[in-house]
Amino acid sequence: MNRLKPAFARLNKLPRVALIVIGLFLALGSFAPWLAPQDPSAQNLLETGLGPTAAHWLGTDHLGRDTLSRLIIAANTSLVSVGSVLIIAMTVGVAMGTIAGYHRGWVDDLLMRIVDVGLSIPSLITALAVIGIVGPGYWTMVLALSLAWWPMSGRISRAVAVSIMSKPHIEALRVLGASPWRIYFGHLLPGTIGAVMVYATADAGTAALAVATLSFLGLGIQPPTPEWGQMLVDALPYLESDPRQVILPGLALTAAVIGFNILGESIALNRIPKPLSRRTLALRRIEVAGWAKENSDA
Amino acid sequence: MSFNRRTFLQIGSGALGLAITDATFTKFAFAEGAAGTLRVAIAKPAGNLDPQSHYAIWAIQDLMFEPLVRYGKGGQIEPCLATDWKIEEGGKTLHLTLRQGVTFQDGTVFDAASCKWNLERWLGLDQFSWMNCSKYFQSLEVIDEHQIAVHFKEPPLALMQELSYTRPPRFLSPKSVDANGKFVEPVGTGPWRQLGADDTQSVFERYDGYWGDKPTYQRLEAKVIPDPRARVAALRAGEIDLVGGFWIAPLTPVEAKQLEAAGLNVVIDPGNVTLVMAFNPDRTEALKDPQVRKAVSIGIDRAAISQALYQGFARPAGNLFSDALPFAGTQHDAPVRDVAAASALLEKAGWTGGPVRSKDGTPLTLEIVVSPDAVPGSRVVAEVIQSEMKEIGINLIVRSVDHASKHTDMLERKYDLGFFLTYGAPYDPFGTVVALCLSTFKNDVEGKLFTDPANLDPLINAATAATGDQIAPSIQKVYDWLRDNDAIAPLVYVPSIWAHSKRVQGFTSPVTEYDMPYENIVLAE
Repeated sequence: MNRLKPAFARLNKLPRVALIVIGLFLALGSFAPWLAPQDPSAQNLLETGLGPTAAHWLGTDHLGRDTLSRLIIAANTSLVSVGSVLIIAMTVGVAMGTIAGYHRGWVDDLLMRIVDVGLSIPSLITALAVIGIVGPGYWTMVLALSLAWWPMSGRISRAVAVSIMSKPHIEALRVLGASPWRIYFGHLLPGTIGAVMVYATADAGTAALAVATLSFLGLGIQPPTPEWGQMLVDALPYLESDPRQVILPGLALTAAVIGFNILGESIALNRIPKPLSRRTLALRRIEVAGWAKENSDA
Repeated sequence: MSFNRRTFLQIGSGALGLAITDATFTKFAFAEGAAGTLRVAIAKPAGNLDPQSHYAIWAIQDLMFEPLVRYGKGGQIEPCLATDWKIEEGGKTLHLTLRQGVTFQDGTVFDAASCKWNLERWLGLDQFSWMNCSKYFQSLEVIDEHQIAVHFKEPPLALMQELSYTRPPRFLSPKSVDANGKFVEPVGTGPWRQLGADDTQSVFERYDGYWGDKPTYQRLEAKVIPDPRARVAALRAGEIDLVGGFWIAPLTPVEAKQLEAAGLNVVIDPGNVTLVMAFNPDRTEALKDPQVRKAVSIGIDRAAISQALYQGFARPAGNLFSDALPFAGTQHDAPVRDVAAASALLEKAGWTGGPVRSKDGTPLTLEIVVSPDAVPGSRVVAEVIQSEMKEIGINLIVRSVDHASKHTDMLERKYDLGFFLTYGAPYDPFGTVVALCLSTFKNDVEGKLFTDPANLDPLINAATAATGDQIAPSIQKVYDWLRDNDAIAPLVYVPSIWAHSKRVQGFTSPVTEYDMPYENIVLAE
């Protein structure tokens, strides 16, 4: 139990609301098939656009499908797609960034120019181009967004890798004759992944938004799989007559994006050493004065 | 200077009052400017208005350019720039009597010479060979100042219908082209003269020298509003008077319901365009079997699609064409959904098991390609069909693509199921039957609905070669073949939807989706 204390202490430092929202998103996304009260694709054209009832807590959509079930399953869709995009993008980005940071020289120049090309094209344009060539579909969308996302993690990884490589302990390892594999896998990669993960948390919100945007444009997730962006576009014609259909997926998407952004920002800020508060400074002074006393006693 | 709460409230109230006054006066000024003006929404700029080009909005060209004959209700051919016509020599000669007293908007007289000049701009050219009258054109003969004869190598099918089309047959002033014959400005004989056009609007004034019934109002403005929701909002705000038309500024049934609820006038016409589902047996073995095609067809609940998605405005279709069109054939009731019969047909065809049926280890999976940009509402219709197919053991994958990709996929036949819209009046029935079902007709735009060179082509060729009383029975054979072989699945007759403000009175839906319905309108100021 004592081992978990530092973890809880870290969590305590993060904004509670963001933690709850993201926790809920992760829980819904992970256990969606068991949590959804009804089949999200089951249509009932006689019960379209119903308000909240005992049978449908959040009402039904324009095809008579249960909105709550669709929102829950859509959380799963977003979680899986965003997770896949980030894993693929980070794997490629971290690999390129760390190789560039380890080798430096022409390898660094070459890889970073590739990253520059990737960064110079807006991510949505890259994604649209890939989908235009390959055709729309779930995994095409994941691939397209990964291709659009990796350059950023590549650039961050390289910066972190260069900083790690210039640290004294790496120099010491080199002098002692440690193999490149040991330095790379034992020291460079774990340190870089840790730092890039922080940025990935903040990026998750943007990735969720990109998934929703592509679905909104009809180029992402295909029916009958529910997805927040697709739910939004399906509900738009009913914006005036039944705003509930637009508000609910809109709220879910907004909450997830804001949650990820706040969480990412907080984690990043927690990693930066803070200036000492007056109280801490006073405590430290007392502590240091204590050492002097110990020394004189000795 | 101190800035206390009182000062803040005074300045705030002043600003608010100013804003309200400004808005009120703007509204008055706007209403003043709109007097005597009909303001119609168009979804995109009018484009190049040359009647012989293919880029403009048809309905805008319709305001200025007139044909020899007009397409009336039920396909009746009515006189326009020609007052009389005779088809002679077994259909190989068309003798036309031109209307007298007609002048183009630049003062040029419309006579046999200007008629000949216009007809020679397109008749016999390769680019217009899709029209029978151009394909079979032989020569043109001016008999006198108001009479002209056109000779053809073969009798052209649906000749008078073709002459009513918006482009290329409409008439342009010979003075509105440059020395090289290139189109310069839109000058026709119609009741509206263009004052100016840009990307935001096209403005027209009434042509007082018009030979026919002149519009009762002075000015017509076609406002470019690309976003459908913005069009609806503009109508509700009183910024436009009229919105609708499939090719002008389409309104969805949901939007029509909302406008109706908001107290605006909504006019629904049964329409003459059919939403048809196509089967592609060339790509999927299962669809070669008519039993599978029939199972898919009767597995669809057309009445529910009409009610839930078209708000009850669309009529379920049992035929390729509705009875609003000439030669539409025997009208059958739309198939009623029958899950048991559909399942039995699939069993009989050897597709068994579940939840997805299979045959020789191959699951019954079909792909439907849809593009809401190309066929509005098609994605939602596909989702409904997907759910209904699941109930009979067919795994239907919906592939939603953009407008351009849909055209490419349809041309390259990269689909199992797809949606087609028939062309509607004045092109149908022969336009759709020839362009979408005759294998020898090259169609580089929509692709093919269904083709069968051995069995269907001879029937279509016989129908297109028929004359007089033989046309109806011969084209009926085409419809019967399509029906007997379950080659296509007509879903609904797409309604024509228009909405207008209370200011517009006497509105009637246009006869075709290519016309601008300005004719009977009276503006109540």
